[in-house]
Amino acid sequence: MEAPYDDRLLHQRVVGGDEAALGEIYDRLASLIFGLSLRVTRDRVIAEDITQEVFLVFWERPLAYDPERGTLRAWLATIAHRRAVDHVRVEERRRVSVLGPRLFEREPDRLEDTVLAADEAHRVRQAVEALPGGLREVVELAYFGGRTYRQVGEELGVPEGTAKSRIRLALRRLADALAQEEV
Amino acid sequence: MDPLERLYVDALLEDPEEPKRSLRPQLLAGARARRRPAAPTADWARPYAGRVAAMDALLAAAVEDDWSRVIVEGWTLQELVAHLAAKDGLLAASVGAPVLGPELTTADSAARTADVQSYERARSPEQTRRDWRAQADALCRHLANLPAAEPAALDGLNAPVSDHILARALETWVHTDDAARVARITLPLPLPEHIHPTADMCARLLPWTMLLSGHDASGRTLGLELTGPGGGAWHLALGAEDGAAAGEPDARITADVVAFCFLLGGRGDAETFEATLAGDVALARDVLATAPALSGP
Repeated sequence: MEAPYDDRLLHQRVVGGDEAALGEIYDRLASLIFGLSLRVTRDRVIAEDITQEVFLVFWERPLAYDPERGTLRAWLATIAHRRAVDHVRVEERRRVSVLGPRLFEREPDRLEDTVLAADEAHRVRQAVEALPGGLREVVELAYFGGRTYRQVGEELGVPEGTAKSRIRLALRRLADALAQEEV
Repeated sequence: MDPLERLYVDALLEDPEEPKRSLRPQLLAGARARRRPAAPTADWARPYAGRVAAMDALLAAAVEDDWSRVIVEGWTLQELVAHLAAKDGLLAASVGAPVLGPELTTADSAARTADVQSYERARSPEQTRRDWRAQADALCRHLANLPAAEPAALDGLNAPVSDHILARALETWVHTDDAARVARITLPLPLPEHIHPTADMCARLLPWTMLLSGHDASGRTLGLELTGPGGGAWHLALGAEDGAAAGEPDARITADVVAFCFLLGGRGDAETFEATLAGDVALARDVLATAPALSGP
């Protein structure tokens, strides 16, 4: 999925050293990145640090992002998620080490470039399975069937806007389900 | 990202939340410390300041091995950066801006390149990066107070400083692209408003590249249409001494604006260059064949 023209232009401006472009990206995406970081870490201070760091890393190494491969939103979300998960894992190990040494501690896979570890992927699949039929259907069409909102609407015989709001409802349900399981 | 990952991240993003206090001011202050923004300068020098910032972003990602890898002209990345600093310094000298690095003893860019490269070889790559950036930023700051028409000379070529700085922008762009190719990094294009004046400078060089290659095109004119963001249309007199072009152009060339700039910058093959030619096609071919004539290392 290629990035929209806006993303490309903002990326070009950041590469060209335009600070105002970084400010615009922050204004547009900070609450999403902060929300994501907060959901994973459940700690507002840590989530603020992660949010700040995500935008700083993007400014410092803007060429690591390739608009041919995805949106800016997805790219920053990927960095934020990776950092948030790293934080949670370090915290878990710290707690474990207080309780005593464990023989089989799993190391976080730092070289792993994907967002999801196998167990997380499994949980997402389960959460999709657990969605009510109508919501599961839109998610499957939009994500696994590669359909646009408009195409999802056409297949289900509903307006594009309805398809879009069903997908968003499904995403919120998924987020809730995933958050519950993490407790 | 595979569909499952995209779904997961999209779900997590469904819960936007504002931090209690805005992180924006400290973000921008922190950003300045991590990578310097483009130096403030005159409007007409912005395309250059932007290309300097882009090269700096590429260098920020370079690791030790990258610096000793040969990029172009048999030069390593460190030597290439020293070459850019050398030519920037010569332009700085010509307009009274500070010249950094070893003592200036020549106005010849090959000789100055050799001097700066031998000076920088004794320094770390990170120091070379800083030296180059300091020279570029000093030049930008100096240009902020100069008129665009201020006369300047580089390699014996006399032109307004605004044209020289666009030539520096093109060379910095071309070499950043050289280095990005070696590192397999996709370099985004400059902004359209930076490409356009660079293309305009290139178009105005065509009478000179023809003359330098021994073609007398006095009295002939070219219609040049450059496509893509930052492109435009030009009607050019091809004789260096000719007045403004008028009437129907003798030849027409339509080509991609970036490919055209790179052809002038010595990247691309006039034989295989993708262009639509019309009118006096032989004349148009001569224009393309001679276009790289002013590109040096």
